Amino acid sequence: MAEFEYLRPDDVSGAVATVTADPDAAFLAGGTTQLDLMLKDRIIAPTTLVDITRLPLHGITGGSDRIRVGALTTMEELAADERVVLHAPFIREALLLGASTQLRNMATIGGNILQRTRCRYFRDPMVAACNKREPGSGCAAVTGAARMHAILGAGPNCIALHASDVCVPLMALDTVVQIQGADGERSVPLAEFYTLPGDRPDIENVLRHGEIVTAIDIPLLPAGMNSGYLKVRDRVSYEFALTSAAAAVWVVDGRIADVRIALGGVGTIPWRAPEAEQSLRGQRAGTRAFRAAAEAAIHDTFTVPGTQFKVELVKRTLVRILQTVSGVTS
Amino acid sequence: MTATINDRLLGQPFDRLDGVLKATGAAPYPSDVSIPGQAHAVLLQSPIGAGRIRAIDSTAAEAAPGVVAVITHLNSPALGEAPMTGLGGPPRNPFTDDRVLHYGQNVAVVVAERREQAMAAALLVDVDYEVSAPILDMDDPRAAVENNAWGLETHDGDVEAALAGAQVTYDGTFRIAPETNNPIGLFTTVAEWDGDRLTIHDSTQWPMMVRASLAAVFGVPEAGVRVLVPYLGGGFGNGLRTWPHTILTALAARMLGRPVKLTLTRPQMFTSLGHRAQSRQRLRLGVGGDGRMLAMDHDATASLAAEETNFSAIVIGSPEAYATPNVATHDRQVRLNIPNPSFMRAPGHAEANFAIESALDELSYQLGIDPVELRLINHADVHPRSGLPWSSNALRECLTVGAEQFGWNDRNPEPQSMRDGNKLIGYGMAGVTFGWYAAPCTATITMDSAGSVIVRAAATDIGTGTYTVAAQLTADLLGLSMDDVTVKIGDSDLPPAPQSGGSGLAVALAAAVQSGAAKLIEALIDAVGDSSPLRGKTVDEVVAENGGLRLRDDADAGETFREILGRHGLDHLTAEGTSDLAAAAKNAKMATAPAFAARFVEITIDEDLGLLRVKRLLSVVDGGRLLNAKTARSQIIGGAVMGIGMAMFEDTIYDQDTGRIANATFGDYLVPVNADVPDLDVVFVGEPDRFSPTGVKGLGEVGVVGVAAAIANAVYHATGRRMRSLPITIDQLM
Ligand SMILES: Cc1cc2nc3c(=O)[nH]c(=O)nc-3n(C[C@H](O)[C@H](O)[C@H](O)COP(=O)(O)OP(=O)(O)OC[C@H]3O[C@@H](n4cnc5c(N)ncnc54)[C@H](O)[C@@H]3O)c2cc1C
Ligand code: SF4
Repeated sequence: MAEFEYLRPDDVSGAVATVTADPDAAFLAGGTTQLDLMLKDRIIAPTTLVDITRLPLHGITGGSDRIRVGALTTMEELAADERVVLHAPFIREALLLGASTQLRNMATIGGNILQRTRCRYFRDPMVAACNKREPGSGCAAVTGAARMHAILGAGPNCIALHASDVCVPLMALDTVVQIQGADGERSVPLAEFYTLPGDRPDIENVLRHGEIVTAIDIPLLPAGMNSGYLKVRDRVSYEFALTSAAAAVWVVDGRIADVRIALGGVGTIPWRAPEAEQSLRGQRAGTRAFRAAAEAAIHDTFTVPGTQFKVELVKRTLVRILQTVSGVTS
Repeated sequence: MTATINDRLLGQPFDRLDGVLKATGAAPYPSDVSIPGQAHAVLLQSPIGAGRIRAIDSTAAEAAPGVVAVITHLNSPALGEAPMTGLGGPPRNPFTDDRVLHYGQNVAVVVAERREQAMAAALLVDVDYEVSAPILDMDDPRAAVENNAWGLETHDGDVEAALAGAQVTYDGTFRIAPETNNPIGLFTTVAEWDGDRLTIHDSTQWPMMVRASLAAVFGVPEAGVRVLVPYLGGGFGNGLRTWPHTILTALAARMLGRPVKLTLTRPQMFTSLGHRAQSRQRLRLGVGGDGRMLAMDHDATASLAAEETNFSAIVIGSPEAYATPNVATHDRQVRLNIPNPSFMRAPGHAEANFAIESALDELSYQLGIDPVELRLINHADVHPRSGLPWSSNALRECLTVGAEQFGWNDRNPEPQSMRDGNKLIGYGMAGVTFGWYAAPCTATITMDSAGSVIVRAAATDIGTGTYTVAAQLTADLLGLSMDDVTVKIGDSDLPPAPQSGGSGLAVALAAAVQSGAAKLIEALIDAVGDSSPLRGKTVDEVVAENGGLRLRDDADAGETFREILGRHGLDHLTAEGTSDLAAAAKNAKMATAPAFAARFVEITIDEDLGLLRVKRLLSVVDGGRLLNAKTARSQIIGGAVMGIGMAMFEDTIYDQDTGRIANATFGDYLVPVNADVPDLDVVFVGEPDRFSPTGVKGLGEVGVVGVAAAIANAVYHATGRRMRSLPITIDQLM
């Protein structure tokens, strides 16, 4: 661990100004990603750490149709919110299936959407080839032991997974990210927030250095729309997803009137599946339609031997959650 | 002459004496030890799998804040060779030369005032490597092969002829991934020299061995080396050797003339210590139509490090498992550029059992004989090799009681026949015969004038309950309460005791304590006055009770310890007990029995998603007399959890280009979490062992054995698919 300066401002613009002015400064929220990367993995070494936990960015406001979640709201707090429980329970499910209680009490929503990949080649300074850490150095994971890696949005330059669970339902809900920078505020839909690795895996989102996420706006589900999140993993608990699926379905007279689908454990970014949604709209709810939707969702995969099984597993994951949420299992 | 076990305290489920200390953080593990003036050492380990160090430039690291020294093979003195032990040769010394033999080999020790400074500086050491291609595959033709390195193979009868004549034959190959022990307590060494005297706090299961090793490595008198480990945060076999990091810490402290502390990081726990070797086993069986096994040919290949030894043979227990007249075993170790495979809980036994018990399950379907019945048919009523009667053996009871309690016969034995919604249900079982082991042990018991005693032995409590069971046994034998007994262990200056390993400590230590108690009673009788009713009596004629001795046949004729010692003005009395059970076994005219067990499991499988979950796991165990019902049960359930890990999760993955361990963190190397572990039932059966003086048998490792086979057999019952490779994961099952 290299030495660093620790600051704990109490106003947002001050925090933004400090980090904007210093290319080697970084924000610290709950620290569950940031401190691992600095102290355990030692792959980043900011010289100034700006603790944002005293900024007035806590709490949840809004009604039954839309909520604004302050970036410093913890995962546990969001999971316990009554509006979430009633109007978007799959957010709660995704949150509570993630990490552990201790971590969820520390981890913030802002930090969650900005969590870094778990790719063990990225998180190990002994590994030389990692385009995300060292642009142009190559990708050790592509020829390495890749299991917890992405098959969608991936390519030979990087197959790092965006491992967040809660981002999967957030993606399905057209969440919007509120950002404040030195030049003012802006809003970016979550669907446009993340960038695919392409030939710059080191760039992960549209946030500019020094910009802070102040909140996210989540449109909640209309009455009658059921939702669910299924996370498939080796262990029952305390593991990132091998595959996951978030689905919200509105079934009227046996037909699918509306549907939202996003996938986890498979994308270099949280993965919305518009083709699957489109293939289901107006269809009779049933396993045949669900399977067709799963086939439509998964295309242009990039796999390595260790991730090949995810192509089929994620389809089955999606079929199962659609069955569960629609109540139609045949 | 023996001191009598009263069963007053022995066997009772006392809470562990160290429990509250550990739960409150008051028990000092090696990593909690700090010595004034200590510097902190951090290891720099090789990022290549094989090659040579061309040059090391440590200028930048040495100039970094707080750095005291950067020690490498270039600037450190030559080291002596540690001796062979009862468990084989020592690991290769660190800093031997410029060659790199595996990823994670120690290349430099960076010492600084603070640990963080040392860690930061370690990244600044510039090592120039000449890289060569590591050998990482057991099938690589370049890999050197050691055949029967320890002479542990068996060749009884004529296996090929018996196989040829058998009505049913079996031939299957099994694979087990390398597993890493991963005790929670990060291994730590704190070393302090005073001239040629060394005091070292070290994460070890065997203080006497560390003492002998370090004395030889540094060429100093053994008596001046003191190894301390009052508490250990787990070992699972990793504390049975003196590892390079321990030597390097002592080396740094000697070179710098000040105390040095080193704690491995979690990733370094994968490269600096041992692990269960990767293995491949081919098992051939020949069976009669009645289910009797006529022949077994067990051929095992295990990984071995490039220039290391691993005193371990997977097939060591195979000939004892069942009554098989013709047995051949083959033990092969293949040298790879990997960290040092070594002992991990039930080494050999856990692996061999997976093959043998899976094969029996397959045969049970082929023969149409119930799996429990098949094991009973082949039960070894006497020791299969010597023909001697067992000193105890309740394996039949393990099997039958287990089947009964589990409801084994309620199942439909047909594969794929049982369901719960979209989940398949499977039942599986396995029999277990462990291996017997004991090493010489000494223990002293010192009684003070108040009648309290201190038991001393250079043994360790690795979380298993040594403190507690030693106190219970001593109190029971001497008619004291638990509060009257203090146990001092975890210090090599104490009377010599063996390792916590091979499931051998409890048996050997209990026998030594029993011998010591008898001698203490004898000394007390010698000390009584002429008028005492105890005068001239033998140990067998008296009973220790209520803080004193009385005549066996007269409850009122006796004296308290306080009276006896007080009259003589003795402020304390010490007796030394010893045991050498391996030597005694040679003349015992019986086969010294290990623990036996049967495991029964119920699993479910979500076929679409490939999700395997354990629903119930019953262990029925013959552990002889139990020292403490609670700690005994804890050993079995802890082992069962590890067995679930072996079956479903544990897999040390090497990167194919460098041998780097691709999953060397707890986020990536999976072990079971609570939610993966169902309620674990444990039932003990059997009698006190006739050979073991206290009737006790070792229970530390048997808990892990048989779980993987039972789970794999249950997977077959559920799905009709035979799993011969561990771990069994989603991608295989979906
Ligand atoms: C053992 C373990 C298991 C886990 N399991 C799961 C799991 O199963 N599912 C899951 O979804 N997640 C899991 N996580 C990830 C966890 O959810 C994230 O680490 C956490 O949400 C990050 O939030 P934080 O507040 O701790 O962020 P920090 O670690 O403080 O910050 C993370 C990053 O975001 C930046 N940042 C934080 N807040 C802001 C802001 N408001 N504006 C701009 N930048 C900001 C920081 O600079 C840093 O780069 C796990 C983590 C661990 C350690
Ligand atoms: S997958 Fe991405 S993060 Fe992982 S090693 Fe390759 S480039 Fe780096």
